[in-house]
This record gives sequence, C-alpha cells and structure tokens, in this order.
Amino acid sequence: MRFLYIQILKDVWRELISNKVNLFFMILSLVISLTALNTIYSLGYSAKEQILNALANVQFGKDAMLILAGGGKIIGLTTTRRDTLKLGDAKEIEKLDFVKLVSPISLGTSEVSYKGNAEMIRIEGVFPNYTIATNWYPKTGRFINKNDLKRLSKVCVVGFDIPKKFGIKDPIGKKIKIRSEYFEIIGILESKPTFGHFNRNERIFIPLTTAQRRLFNKDYIDAIKILFQPGTNIDLAKYKIRQILRKRHKLYGIEPDDFRIITPDMAIKFFTSASKILTIFLLTISLISLIISGVIIMNLMYANIEEKSPIIALRVALGATSQRIIIHYLVMSLIIAFISGLIGWILSLLILKTIAYFTPLKAYFSWLTFLFSLSFAILTTIVFSLIPSVKATQVEPSILLKSL
Amino acid sequence: MVKKLVILKDITKTYQTGKVSYQVLKGINLEVEKGEFLAIMGASGSGKTTLLNIIGLLDKPTSGSYILDGEEVSKLSKQELAYIRNRKLGFIFQAFHLIPWATALENVLMPLLYRKEGISKKDEERAKKLLERLGLGDRIKAKPAELSGGQQQRVAIARALIGKPKLLLADEPTGNLDSKSSEEVIKIFRELNQEGITIIMVTHDPEIAKCAKRIKIIKDGNFIEK
Repeated sequence: MRFLYIQILKDVWRELISNKVNLFFMILSLVISLTALNTIYSLGYSAKEQILNALANVQFGKDAMLILAGGGKIIGLTTTRRDTLKLGDAKEIEKLDFVKLVSPISLGTSEVSYKGNAEMIRIEGVFPNYTIATNWYPKTGRFINKNDLKRLSKVCVVGFDIPKKFGIKDPIGKKIKIRSEYFEIIGILESKPTFGHFNRNERIFIPLTTAQRRLFNKDYIDAIKILFQPGTNIDLAKYKIRQILRKRHKLYGIEPDDFRIITPDMAIKFFTSASKILTIFLLTISLISLIISGVIIMNLMYANIEEKSPIIALRVALGATSQRIIIHYLVMSLIIAFISGLIGWILSLLILKTIAYFTPLKAYFSWLTFLFSLSFAILTTIVFSLIPSVKATQVEPSILLKSL
Repeated sequence: MVKKLVILKDITKTYQTGKVSYQVLKGINLEVEKGEFLAIMGASGSGKTTLLNIIGLLDKPTSGSYILDGEEVSKLSKQELAYIRNRKLGFIFQAFHLIPWATALENVLMPLLYRKEGISKKDEERAKKLLERLGLGDRIKAKPAELSGGQQQRVAIARALIGKPKLLLADEPTGNLDSKSSEEVIKIFRELNQEGITIIMVTHDPEIAKCAKRIKIIKDGNFIEK
C-alpha cells in the first residue's frame, strides 16, 4: 500500500514532465498571478501603513487645534489673503481660560549652505513651547529659549537628517548659513517617522522673532498650534476662537474666514477616509488579479486535461476506477500548485526586497494574502482539472479510445 | 467450474445521433468456451469492433444479457466493470495504445498500478520475463516512440498478459503491422492459446483469421451462419 502511493506519484510525475512546455506555462501562469497579487497587495499595504504612520506621528493630540493662515479648504490653496494672522491673535487666544498653551509658527523656505553644500530647506520660526506643542524634543543640545527669542539670536535647532544632508560632523556649535546670515547650531531634534516629500527631519528651527525680522521680513505668522486643558469642549472652543479671530481681523457678515481651524476629529476624518480609499483600492486590485489569474489557470488546466481524455479512457480500459483517475489528477494539480507556490513565494519576496531597496517603501510580505491567493490558485487548479477528468471517466471508454 | 467463459444473448447496440438512431448490433448470440481461439470477421462498419468492445466491457449493450465467467455483467456499475477489466480481461488494440511517456516496462506494469496492492518486485520480474519471452529483453527501458510497430504491439501483448487474464481481446492486432510482424504476433497468439488462454480476435484479414480455431463472420450487425 505504501509503495502504491509512491508508484502513483511517479506515474503522475512522468506524465507531467512528458510535456515540459505545457508544464512550464501552467506554472508560469500560476507564478505570475501569485507574484503579481502579492507584490501589488504588499506594496499597497506598506504604502498605506507608512502614510497612516506618518499621519499618526504628527501627534496632533486629542485636546489640540491648529490654526492656519488663509481661508479655504483644509488641503489646497488658500482662497483669501493670508497675511492677517498676527502674534497678537495668539496672545488673545492664550487669555482664554480653557487654553493650556499657544505656539505660533512662522514658515518659510530658504537657501541653506554649509561648506559649499547648498539646499532649499524649510525654516520654521517657533516659540520655546514648540517642543511641548508637538511633543518633539532635542536629542542632543538644547531647544530655543526665551533669551534667544528676546535677543533675536542667530541660533538654530536642526532636524535629525540635516547634519547628514550637509555633511556636518559634531554639529553642535557649528555655524550654518541661512540665506545670508550665519546661525549657530544649538541642538538636534530626535528623529520622527516621515513619509514622501514631507520629510520632517529635514527642517531647521529658529526663534520666531529672528525668523520674522532677520529672515522673512514679515509681521504675520503662518500657523498657531493650541493645546487645551483636558476635557475642553472642542466645538465650543472652536466657536469662541473663531469669534475672536473674525473680530480681530474685522470680518463681518458673509465675509469668509481668512484662517482655517483644524480640529482633531477633522484630522481623524481625513486620515480614516484616506485609509478607507486605500483599502478599497487594494481590495479591488487584488480581486481583479485573482479573477484574471483564475480564468487563465482555469483555461490552461481544462485544456490540458481535456487533451488527455483518450489517455484517461485507456487507463479506465486497463482497469482504473474513477476514484483512481481523480486521485491521479488531484495529485497532479497539487504538484503544480506546490511548485508554483514555492516559486511565487520566493519571487514575490525578491521583488519586494528589490523595491524596498530602491524606494522608501518597506517590504511587507503578507502571509495571509499569500496563503489566500495560493489556496485560491490550488482550488481553481483542482476544480478545473477534476471537471474534465471526471467527465472523461463518465463516457464509455470505447468512444474516447478511438481518438487515441 | 464454468465451462463457458462468454455467453451473449440477444445483444443489441443502438447509437443515437440527434434524432437519427442507428442499430449496429441486431441481437447477437455467442458462446465462447474456455481455451477457444475465436476470430470474428467482417467488413468495416459491420459491427465487429462494437461487439468486441461490449465483450471487453468498454461499451454497454443497449439490450440483451452478457454472462462473463459465470457472472451477469450487463448491469454492473462502472467500478465493478473496471475491476473485472483489470482482473479478467486483457486488451490488444490495433493502434497499440501505449502511454507515450512511459517505458516499455512501465507500460506493461500499468494495469497492476490500478490494483490495491500496487506493483511488487515480483511483478516487475514477471514483466521483464514476459518482455524477454516476446523478444524485447533488451528494450525494457525504451519509450514507445523508440520502438517499431511490431515491437510496440508486443509490449501491448505483454501489458495484456501481466494481469493473468482469463480472456484476451484483440481488435485488429495486425492492422498496423507489416506482414513479418503480423506473423510474429499471430505466432505468439497461438502459443498463448496452446497454454490455455482464451482469445477473441477481430480482424478483416482472412489469412490472419485462418489461424484461429473458429471463425465467425458478422454482417450488418449479426452473424452469418456457416
């Protein structure tokens, strides 16, 4: 009995390798479908993970709010003038009893150079409380303090990737040129997860006063981050802050806001809808590739076995029962699926690692997806090899033998 | 002991193609005793191959009764028929019908693969001896495509004999062979018959038929009484 299975396996194997071209194409179609599905899914998933990670790591916080200069939609160009948000607005908001902290920010992009290396870098003029407002602290050195602010000091705290970008060794105490002024590096921020073009670790922070007077020459600010006391009613806070800003900016009646207020639930809504769209996109692509591969495998297997029906008839004539024929082609499908699965697995891993090496995407291999697509492939292979083989055993062998 | 191996009573076979039905066999009666060597002759389309397929359980009669080795087989299931074909019958076809990717030895052993016990070392030895006896001792590893027509037919004869059948069925066994190979095959048949194997052979060649002990001629779906 034990030998019988080995003998069957040998018989099946001989039949399989008798037509190597056919075997090659069957395996190829399975491998391509498995690899394509898993690579697409894995890359999509890894992109989604990283986008969501980056968004989550903005650390917006539950009791927080962000005010951006200029009116309009959250994402996109502003539709009003954007030079109306002032430091005075921040000071007025700070007076509200439910406000814990107000951190104004002045933004700009300037040419930064060090020993002949020059790059356009995003510069943020900030208050000392920026670290608390964003939960982002120096890894080495110190952050900007009140004295720096008072004296309009030419000091800066750099993002984690800046020293590497400019090739600065032992950055603390070194001078870096921003536009035409030299700034002393006093601290390096800890690294923050980041995504795509908005590398948060490639920014430079200077005192807000220095930024406004020495660098950007502007009296308005670009954003205000606000932290509330725990348990604050965010909707009410938003309403009050909006009233203050509209009054201070002299906006009346139907005049639109010349600022945008971003609350945590808006941010969450935006993140979750982005995540939902990505998930639907991934599922659709996976489903399409599954169906396409299924149809291809179906056709190949069906044609392959149907071609063999005279041989099946011969086997039946020699005394094979239909069970034996079914076992024969079941074993055959499993061998094909096993080989394809193995190659598909190795190939997807290779492709993923290669892509991960050349792009910021991480190689995320989903076993669940792989096993799901593999079982789908096995199922299609089995079903569409069994249908023609069972059909061949149902016909009187004498009829099929004629075509052998 | 059953003396009569094959008893056919009023066997008919009708093929249905759409609305047109065509009766190939019109009430065949035939008895074959153990140890007989029967040749069934007839022109093409006379129904001789259909009759052989029914005797060989490769086709079912439309009506009539068929007792093979003392057992009524016309109503058996596919599984039971497969079992009987494997144990009691040996087939030799005009076009040899060997499995192209298997060696001569593997082809000979094929029927034993469909037994629960599988193929034993003893079976392999027996298959080699059979091939040796048929003059193919040095070609056991050859694939069908590497063998001549006569050699292929001898492999097919070995395959038909490996299961120690009670009845050997041959459908135009020399139809695809030259005269020299045909003579060899017929010689083998006679030897086998002398050893006690019952043979039923279908042919349209009178010279070949002469070698049988008994000849039956079929015409338009029935035997012509001589």
